[in-house]
Amino acid sequence: MSWRDQKFVRNIFIFLAVMGPGIITASVGNNSAGIATYSLAGAHFGYSLVWSFIPMTLALIVAQEMSARMAVATGKGLADLIRENFGVKFTFYLMLLLFIVNLICLMAEFSGLAASLEIFHINKYISVPIAALLVWLLVVKGSYKLVERIFLIISFFYLSYIISGFISHPDWKSAFHQMVAPEFNLNLESTVMIVGMIGTTITPWMQFYLQSTIVEKKISADEYKHVRLDVIVGCVVACIVAFFIVVACAATLFKAGVRVETVKDAALALKPLAGEYASWLFAFGLFNAAIFAVSILPLSTAYCICEGMGWEEGIDKNLHEAPQFFGLFTAMIVIAAGVVLLPNFPLLKMMYFSQVGNGIVLPLILIFMYWLVNNPDIMGEFVNSRTFNVVTLLTICIMIGLTAMMLVFALLGFG
Amino acid sequence: MDTKFFLYFSEILGKVVRDHQNRRIGYLCDIAMKVNGEIYPKASSLIIKRGIFRRRFSQVDWEQVSDIGDFIKLKTAIHQIAYQKQRPKYDFNLCLDILDQQIVDIDNRKVVRVNDVHMLRVDNHLYLAHVDVGTRGLVRRLGWTKWVDAIVRIFSPHSAFLSQEDFISWKNTQVLNLGRVKNVLRLDVARQRLAQIPAIDLADIMKDLDKFEKVHLFQSLDAALQQKVFADLSNSLQTELIEQLDVKEAVTLLENIPSDEAADLLLRLPKRRTKQLMKLVGTKTSKKLSKLLGFSKNSAGGLMTTEYLSLPHNALVKDALQKIKENTQLAGNVYNIYIIDEQNHLLGIAALRNFINADPETPLLSTCVPHKIFVRTSDGVEQVAVLLEKYKFSVIPVLNEEDILQGVITGDDVMEELISLAWSKYKEKL
Repeated sequence: MSWRDQKFVRNIFIFLAVMGPGIITASVGNNSAGIATYSLAGAHFGYSLVWSFIPMTLALIVAQEMSARMAVATGKGLADLIRENFGVKFTFYLMLLLFIVNLICLMAEFSGLAASLEIFHINKYISVPIAALLVWLLVVKGSYKLVERIFLIISFFYLSYIISGFISHPDWKSAFHQMVAPEFNLNLESTVMIVGMIGTTITPWMQFYLQSTIVEKKISADEYKHVRLDVIVGCVVACIVAFFIVVACAATLFKAGVRVETVKDAALALKPLAGEYASWLFAFGLFNAAIFAVSILPLSTAYCICEGMGWEEGIDKNLHEAPQFFGLFTAMIVIAAGVVLLPNFPLLKMMYFSQVGNGIVLPLILIFMYWLVNNPDIMGEFVNSRTFNVVTLLTICIMIGLTAMMLVFALLGFG
Repeated sequence: MDTKFFLYFSEILGKVVRDHQNRRIGYLCDIAMKVNGEIYPKASSLIIKRGIFRRRFSQVDWEQVSDIGDFIKLKTAIHQIAYQKQRPKYDFNLCLDILDQQIVDIDNRKVVRVNDVHMLRVDNHLYLAHVDVGTRGLVRRLGWTKWVDAIVRIFSPHSAFLSQEDFISWKNTQVLNLGRVKNVLRLDVARQRLAQIPAIDLADIMKDLDKFEKVHLFQSLDAALQQKVFADLSNSLQTELIEQLDVKEAVTLLENIPSDEAADLLLRLPKRRTKQLMKLVGTKTSKKLSKLLGFSKNSAGGLMTTEYLSLPHNALVKDALQKIKENTQLAGNVYNIYIIDEQNHLLGIAALRNFINADPETPLLSTCVPHKIFVRTSDGVEQVAVLLEKYKFSVIPVLNEEDILQGVITGDDVMEELISLAWSKYKEKL
């Protein structure tokens, strides 16, 4: 076969080579905090909130696609672009804020990890230090390719939620009915829940992480359509997984009228209702999500801070070449894991605080992205089209509105 | 007027600009620089900004500056200043093109980000002397110098941080970002400076740049250095670069690198770009390339190069010697000459060591070894390697099914392929 005839095969291979960043980033959006929110949404509201997955998927795709496009068009990370276009002062304070917010998120993920392993009767004083060490070794000693492969495999394990969704025998008819023709029955409690769902699904650090990893993969402009496919597939799959979590909890916990307060309760409550396997799968999925986020969050933070401050960065560098990069990465893991091991640490309060932080940073970042993606000096032929701009602006406004609401709720002490 | 010789750009950026009667004009938002073939660029105009919601810009020649103190004082009056809506753009602006951007540090051969600009002040003229890439510069930009210094002094009074500036002299830098829209700094000075860096280091620097910067750096090299640097780039970087270059530059590059490498490169490019380039390369190169492109990458046909020496069947030994003398610069192997008929059928292989001592008037064909060793275009790389090893050849001819000579494969080409095969197998095991 000559090189000309392989177009289809070639396209598949290019996609496989390019695949990764979008799927990984979207999957990690379903981190353990996300899973907790989805399970509670299912347990407390049944199928009545599933309609929100449709606009949520769209918003996620729009935000992620802009990041991917900027990566391909400029070959630079988001923090690089912000530094070059908005100056060092702004970048520094933004990075400081991002560091604090991500650190608190990381604490939440470590405690999610501890909770999931406690279901399997593993003490947190054993599980958390071991997980922290493993994650540190993977990134410091591993290469980018190895890390990406492991992350892709982890993304695959999210399917355990789809399986546990099926095991719980949900009422498909009413689930889909609620999706396409919802009965909007909004009260304060359900609005807080929707805001929480979106807040955990679209986060500031995802934008930075996606853009940096695409840049690191050195994807060319001609491969862009494959990158976009990767992003879209990732967002859709992530939202489908989230949908199944809600459905699994709705079919069992909501139906039985069990009131649960944490994700650990949810997993344990599944046992008598849907069987031991469903419960185990659920706990395993939570563990998987937590360890995934625990690896990616410090990595993404170190990446974007080093980018913004002009320090050497990258997994493929060694400790001596990129001291700030590995220093930040290590510091985050040590602090977060250490804090989770402290007895009586006010973790719930910290999580509200991190939601507030995310709520402040996300709109800011979306506005900068909007400005950057519309600047022809930066984007060249990849500048936003008019239709896309309308969709983007709409998404940004909704996101800002929702995060503003989330801020208010968080400050008032709803969850 | 104070006698400070050096000042930081961050100290004057944002300063209020007033006219000769101290009336407020606006504040300094950028300085346009002029490059006159001198080593240090000189400030040529101030760019002044006014207003937050209804922003207006104006530019004033540097000659109008009468004093720089707590504010910048001009010699003109406010009514002589024209405001415009658009920010005036010059070839070389400190804020837009240098501050916070990435540059190449030529001495240390790496890419760094500029935190501040150190300027020399002579008779109210400002010259760009150094760029600051250190932590002190970062702290100064944030406006924290006093606080950070005080804290550092408490803990370690003799810390290097307090006195050590991390400067790079302007003459040892290469600006990258200007390449995106314009090309002012492509001076011979820059070219000479870059030429002092070994090609392999330049290739290394290019890894750290974004795609526009890569192209700009590459374009500022001369043709010979371009070819050397290109050869040292990884496959994916080569592809990226050839896609970004102008068609004309890409074609020149393709014509000047060995044809088998060029063919490999074209195979990796998107089809559209390959077609476009093939149309424009010289007929000679394009003939060679299209022949090579027809073969799959791991076959003998894909490995071979079309750079070899050949002579007609009636050639004499002296013709062969002459041919070698004329082609000492050939990229391929010059120790073997292939004797062919009019249809390119291979008749014999004349090795230099066999005919160098022969009488110059004897026919070349009579010096050839009788057996013909060759591979077919469809043979795999392993077969080629086995034959090369078996006969201890450094080069082997490639024939098609009609025994017509297509090209030759050198041991180097096979080694390269085998090493990459072995490497990918090794990596899979990891």
